[in-house]
Amino acid sequence: MNFAIFRLTVRELTGQRRMLLMLLLAAVPVLLSIIYSLGDKIDHPDWTAGMLTTVVVTVVLPLICLILGTSALGSEIEDGTVVYILAKPVPRLQIVTAKFAAAALVSAVLVVPATAISGVVSMSGVPAEGLAAGFTLGVAFGVLAYTALFLLLSLVTSRALLFGLVYVFVWEGLLTNLFDAVAYVSIRQYCLGIADAVATVGPEDLDADLAGGVALALVVVVTIAALYFATRRLETLELSESE
Amino acid sequence: MSVETATVIEVTNVSRWYGNVVAVNDVTFSLGPGITGLLGPNGAGKSTILHMLAGFLKPSAGSVQIAGEPVWRNSERLYRSAGLVPEREAVYGFMTGYEFVFLNAQLHGLADPVEATRRALSAVGMEHAEKRKLGGYSKGMKQRIKIASAIVHDPQVLLLDEPFNGTDPGQRLEMMELLRQMAADGKTIVFSSHILEEVERLAEQVLVIVAGRLAASGDFRAIRKLMTDRPHVFTLASSDNRRFAQALVGDESVIAVELGKNDLTVRTAQFSEFVRVAPRIAKEQQITLRELIPTDESLESVFSYLVNR
Repeated sequence: MNFAIFRLTVRELTGQRRMLLMLLLAAVPVLLSIIYSLGDKIDHPDWTAGMLTTVVVTVVLPLICLILGTSALGSEIEDGTVVYILAKPVPRLQIVTAKFAAAALVSAVLVVPATAISGVVSMSGVPAEGLAAGFTLGVAFGVLAYTALFLLLSLVTSRALLFGLVYVFVWEGLLTNLFDAVAYVSIRQYCLGIADAVATVGPEDLDADLAGGVALALVVVVTIAALYFATRRLETLELSESE
Repeated sequence: MSVETATVIEVTNVSRWYGNVVAVNDVTFSLGPGITGLLGPNGAGKSTILHMLAGFLKPSAGSVQIAGEPVWRNSERLYRSAGLVPEREAVYGFMTGYEFVFLNAQLHGLADPVEATRRALSAVGMEHAEKRKLGGYSKGMKQRIKIASAIVHDPQVLLLDEPFNGTDPGQRLEMMELLRQMAADGKTIVFSSHILEEVERLAEQVLVIVAGRLAASGDFRAIRKLMTDRPHVFTLASSDNRRFAQALVGDESVIAVELGKNDLTVRTAQFSEFVRVAPRIAKEQQITLRELIPTDESLESVFSYLVNR
C-alpha cells in the first residue's frame, strides 16, 4: 500500500461537505436507540435486531460505503486529478489498495461505532445476547466487501452511484427476499450471516440466509476479487481528453 | 530506463479512433532531446497524441515508444524518467502548493523529497505562494505548480499539454526560459499548443497536426516559411475599385484580383510585400484606400494550406 496516496485519500474523503451528511446518516441508528431506550422498551432483542438489520445493514452501511467507495477513485477520474497519481512510478495495485484502505477506514469509523453504540444502548438493562457484538462484527466485514465492490464499480462505469443504488436497493433489498440463492451474491446477507454466528438469538430474528463461516469466506472472496479486478481495470484505464 | 540514445520518442504508424471517428491517423515521427512543439488547431488530435505519449490512451494501431520501451501499460517504468503536465486545470484544491509538489516527490520515491520540492518550487518561482491552498490559485499559478510537480524528479522527458494556457506574458517568458534551460541540459520536451507564436518562440522542432494527420514536421523556420509564402487573400475597399484593380494586377506580388460590388478580393503569394505595395499603388493612382483586410489569417486556414499543398 502507498501511504502518501492513503493519506491523500483520507483527506479528500473527510474534508468535504458530504462528510456532514454521512455523519448524520451514521447518527440515525444511535438516535433511534436512544429514543427506544427512553420509551417502554418492549422486546429488546427483536427491536434491536430489526433496527440494526433494516436501518444499519440495509441502508446506512451500504450508502456510506457507496458514497466513499465510489468517490475514492471515481471523483479523481471524473475531475482529472487522478493523472497526478497515475503518472508516477507507483504500481497500480498499491494505488488500489491505498484507495480501498482509506475509503474502508473512513466508512468503518462512521458505521462501526454507530452500530456498536446503538446495539448496546437499545439492549441496555437486558442480557446482550451478542447482538451488538455480532452486528458490529458483521458491519465491519461488510465495510470491506462493500467498499471494494463500489471502488471497482467506479472504475468500470461513470454511473457507479446509480448502479450501486440499484445493487443495494433492487438486488439486495428486493431480489434476496424472492430467491434464496441470491444470498450468495448479497453483501447484506454476508453481514447478517456473520452477525448471526455471534449473536445468540435465533436466525429468524436476524433474517440470515447464510452460515457465519460461509458469509465470512464470501466477504474475503468478494473483497479480494474486487480489488484484483480494480487493479486490472486501472492498468488499462484510458483517460479521456479535454480537447 | 536509459535515454542516452538520440531518438528518445518514437511514434510509428500510430492511429487512434473512437468508434467510427478517427482522431489520429497514421502518424509517424521520432524525437530527440530538445524542445518540440505539437502545433495544431483545437480538436486536431494534439491531445490524443500527447495522451498516447503519456501512456493514457492505447493506440488503436501502431506503436509508441519512449527510450526504446513501449509506453502503454508501462507507466511504472515510464514515469521514473518522464514527467507530465496535463491540460486540465483540476488540482487538489484542499492542498497547499508545497503539499502538492511534496506529494508528487513522495510518489516518485525520491530520497530527499523536501529538497526536491524546494528546488521545483524555486524553478517555477512559486515559493511565495507555497503555503496557499491550490483552490485559491489563479489559472497561471496552477499551471506553474503543475509544472513544478512534473519536474520534481528531474525527468529526462517532459510532456506538457497546452502549458501556457492562462499564464500572463511575464509568467510565460519565465516558463519558456525554464524549458529552454531543461532542453539545454539534454532533456526531451514535447508541448502542445494551438498558438503559433508560442511554438515559434520556444520550439526548435515542430509537428503540425491537422485533422488527426501529421501535416508537417521538422525545423520550425522552414515550416514557418511555408506558412508565410502560401497564397494570402485580402479584401480591399477604395474610392475607385475598378481603377485600383487594374493598377494592382500590374504588380508582381499579386496573383489575382476579383472585382466585387463594393470591394476587391486580391490573392498574393507575398504577404508582407503586398501590405507594403498596396498603399503605395493607391497613392500613386490618387485613390483613397479605405480598407485592407487579410481574410484568411486564422490558424485553421494556415493549417489547411499545409495539408492541401
